[in-house]
Amino acid sequence: MEFEVVIGLEVHVELQTESKLFCACPNSFVPEPNVNTCPVCLGFPGALPQLNSNAVQQALTASVALNCEIALFSYFDRKNYFYPDMPKGYQLSQYFEPIGSRGYINIEDDNGLLKKIRIGRIHMEEDAGKLVHAVSGDASMVDYNRAGVPLVEIVTEPDLSSPGESRRYLEQLKRILQYARVSDCKMEEGSLRCDANISLRPVGSEVFGSKTELKNMNSFKAVERSLEHEIKRQRDILMRGEKVLTQTLRWDEDKQETVVMRGKLEAHDYRCFTDSELAPIELTPEEVDRARAALPEMAEARAARFIDDYGLPEYDAGVLTSSRCLADYFESCLKTYNNPKVVSNWIMGEFSAQLNNAGLEADQCSFRPSDLAELLQMIDEGLISGKIAKEVLEKAFQSGKEPRVVVEEEGLLQISDQSELESIVEKVVNENADSVEKYRSGATRVIGFLVGQVMKETGGKANPGLVNELLVKKIEG
Amino acid sequence: MELRKISIRQAAEAVSCGDISAHQLIEETLKNCSVLNEGLNIFTHLAGIDALEQAKAVDRKIEKGERLPLAGLPVAVKDDICYGVLPTSFGSPAFKEFFSPYTATAVERLMDAGAIVIGKTNLDDMSLGSSTVTSPIGPTANPWDTERTAGSAGAAAVATGLCMLALESDSGGALRQGASHCGVIGLRPTTGRISRYGLNASSSSFGQIGITAISGENIISAMEVLSGFDSRDASTAICKEKPVGQDIVPETRELIIGYPAAAFDHLVPDLREVFEQARELYTELGFQFVDLELALLPEALQAYYVIALAESSSNHSRFDGVRFGAAEEAGDLEELYCESRGTILGREARRRSIFGTLLLSKGNYDLYYRQALKVWNLVRREFTDALTKCDLLMLPAVNKLPRLCSEEAGFPDHWSDDIFCAPVSLSGMPSLSLPAGQLGGLPVGMQLVGRPFSEEILAAACDRMVREIKLFPHGNS
Repeated sequence: MEFEVVIGLEVHVELQTESKLFCACPNSFVPEPNVNTCPVCLGFPGALPQLNSNAVQQALTASVALNCEIALFSYFDRKNYFYPDMPKGYQLSQYFEPIGSRGYINIEDDNGLLKKIRIGRIHMEEDAGKLVHAVSGDASMVDYNRAGVPLVEIVTEPDLSSPGESRRYLEQLKRILQYARVSDCKMEEGSLRCDANISLRPVGSEVFGSKTELKNMNSFKAVERSLEHEIKRQRDILMRGEKVLTQTLRWDEDKQETVVMRGKLEAHDYRCFTDSELAPIELTPEEVDRARAALPEMAEARAARFIDDYGLPEYDAGVLTSSRCLADYFESCLKTYNNPKVVSNWIMGEFSAQLNNAGLEADQCSFRPSDLAELLQMIDEGLISGKIAKEVLEKAFQSGKEPRVVVEEEGLLQISDQSELESIVEKVVNENADSVEKYRSGATRVIGFLVGQVMKETGGKANPGLVNELLVKKIEG
Repeated sequence: MELRKISIRQAAEAVSCGDISAHQLIEETLKNCSVLNEGLNIFTHLAGIDALEQAKAVDRKIEKGERLPLAGLPVAVKDDICYGVLPTSFGSPAFKEFFSPYTATAVERLMDAGAIVIGKTNLDDMSLGSSTVTSPIGPTANPWDTERTAGSAGAAAVATGLCMLALESDSGGALRQGASHCGVIGLRPTTGRISRYGLNASSSSFGQIGITAISGENIISAMEVLSGFDSRDASTAICKEKPVGQDIVPETRELIIGYPAAAFDHLVPDLREVFEQARELYTELGFQFVDLELALLPEALQAYYVIALAESSSNHSRFDGVRFGAAEEAGDLEELYCESRGTILGREARRRSIFGTLLLSKGNYDLYYRQALKVWNLVRREFTDALTKCDLLMLPAVNKLPRLCSEEAGFPDHWSDDIFCAPVSLSGMPSLSLPAGQLGGLPVGMQLVGRPFSEEILAAACDRMVREIKLFPHGNS
């Protein structure tokens, strides 16, 4: 039997505000536990929440960026459950009336065609603290630094049909939210978290099969793999004529498989009701219009501009705008080194390779756009060769030193001194009589080999243009 | 200085011009407190040296020429309102030694105005009730008849002249019924007119901070200090509309009082007679009466309890032994919660938590909670409509004489004590409880309910009624 896969994703994203959702504590990561706390986010008796209007603005921005309808009147509800990471015993969340609903984003489906993924709702809520288990295993501790950090939860309709689509949805969502400057969306750091609902049904069936919920995926790759694993698991069950149990499963990254967390009977009853300590959130149509108008240039528009303004190929424009910080890096570099295609090549090539190695984003590394510009200028000035430049980039990237400093310290300056090179050229010509003969008999391509020999002798530091010139003069002269 | 014979204005003047120092006044007061407290059980904690230190600080400010509207005046604060200097027990034995890391806005404002906190006053189990019979330290005795309860300990402190003001909480009517039982004046202000930041309200929708004193004039003196916008309590945003002291109080002669005759039928005949006589006397004083109907009182009481129970189950979730209250020895999390909550919450608090949890659970929410919200709206409308036909409403404050101290808290019989007060809490209107007469040597109080922001009118009417009739204090045998 042929099955059709039905996937819906629930994504939690941390908003990039200065302070927490309901108090003035900083919304920033600190290693010491329980320092970013106060009576409000620790849930002290009698302390009342104060809504951070900046968080509302960001949630509004995210909502309009995801093409949502905006609720002009919304409020917070309480989701009641006991767990040590919830200091109040309930989470404040927009359960009944989300700030945004009925939105969508476009992605490519598995056949490369445009597909609209509907977003059912986007709502604000507060994050919980973190449990820390003692190494000895006999104690658990709680760090409330994260308690009260503003989140938005973005829930799709069950419109995704494959693990690949799901990954592309996440990539597109991340891109939009990064461009809208509401979140850095770093899944590895927990500022973007994703749960997936997945079910299978016979192709053509109108009714949904029973679904499972997947949790604990720590990267886009893990989301894709866990979905692949779960499709196989569910298909095997269905092929045996058995029923898929409605369960919550946890992705085990080490074993690369899903593990049962809890069954349906253990499902929570959150006893939601509206909080009356916070005032309702009231927005005007003008505020919504302003938020829409203030949206920054999104990836597609930026890519188009890169093609038009900088004459970049479509491929380059697509890669550079895949994340906002990479595109920013590119444009920042152009300010002092105005050769777009050269900059693009270096960013897509060596620079990206270094980022991937280090697991960093463009705005996190110490190799700044001005460093890349400087490096490229040094090539143009004939101070280093392109080959050496790659070495300099790697060293500068890893050490945090400026390229010029690396070149000086490592003695990588290109040899452009004619007399120094002439003796080496002579040596190479003498030692490679065969090649010289070939050249003279018309096989001028062999010059490349001879240049290479000189470069070898100089440890790559010779100015290749000059070497070429000297060689020709020597052989022909 | 006999605190029951002079106004706040006069007392603050006496301290300010040096007739008596704040230190002397507080020293004297504390002496009286420890004597009277033995028999009456008013205080959970009496301030000693701390209060005297504060009095000295006030004296120094006066010497420097600072004008303090409550200079050196002793105030009592109910023990569900946080005050960092003394322990705050919330009515739980588990919090006997708990020091709040912050002080409630209302207490701060009193202290900034020169008032001295002389002690924390007794309250029911987690402040749930209007009799003090469920208090972990036992009930507060009524100064008029020590066999009976005071209803609220703050009212007992005011009635015995131990303080000029008591800061108390009121959700279903504890403050107003206490004032009634002790023959003093108690104001539950318009919702949001006094910041409740620092009040451990079991019901977030109805819990308010109010004032008990011996006259309407004193209540307004306190309101001038207490009322106003506080960024830490969203509900105080209404104060931006209208500060205290800007109302032109009309001649009481012109005031029309709405009299919902049918409501008084809930009372036993001799109690009803007290109010009927009061009405006659007020008519002689020039107040005009119109008969009207408040048909929803019984439904309002039920709606109040559904919402208040639901909210208290949520508000008290934080008392789970992890963050708040002592953690009991337990094998796992579930057991920790059960054991700790069993110790922290008394019988009444546990009962209400269980009820509230049930009311919010799947299936019950629509049957009870949603219906209660609808009734709440209807009640609000009924009171608003009634107050278009009159300036003030007259309602009983109590439906019986104070309970005996020996009486066990009956369920749900005790809850019906709030029949006249809880509906007013739903309306959000200000309500002043004042003595209307006596029955069997005990004071009986009534409520004057006004439109939002009408506290000055209520106080002026109250003083005229009480003064002219000479029902009070302690006269009329």
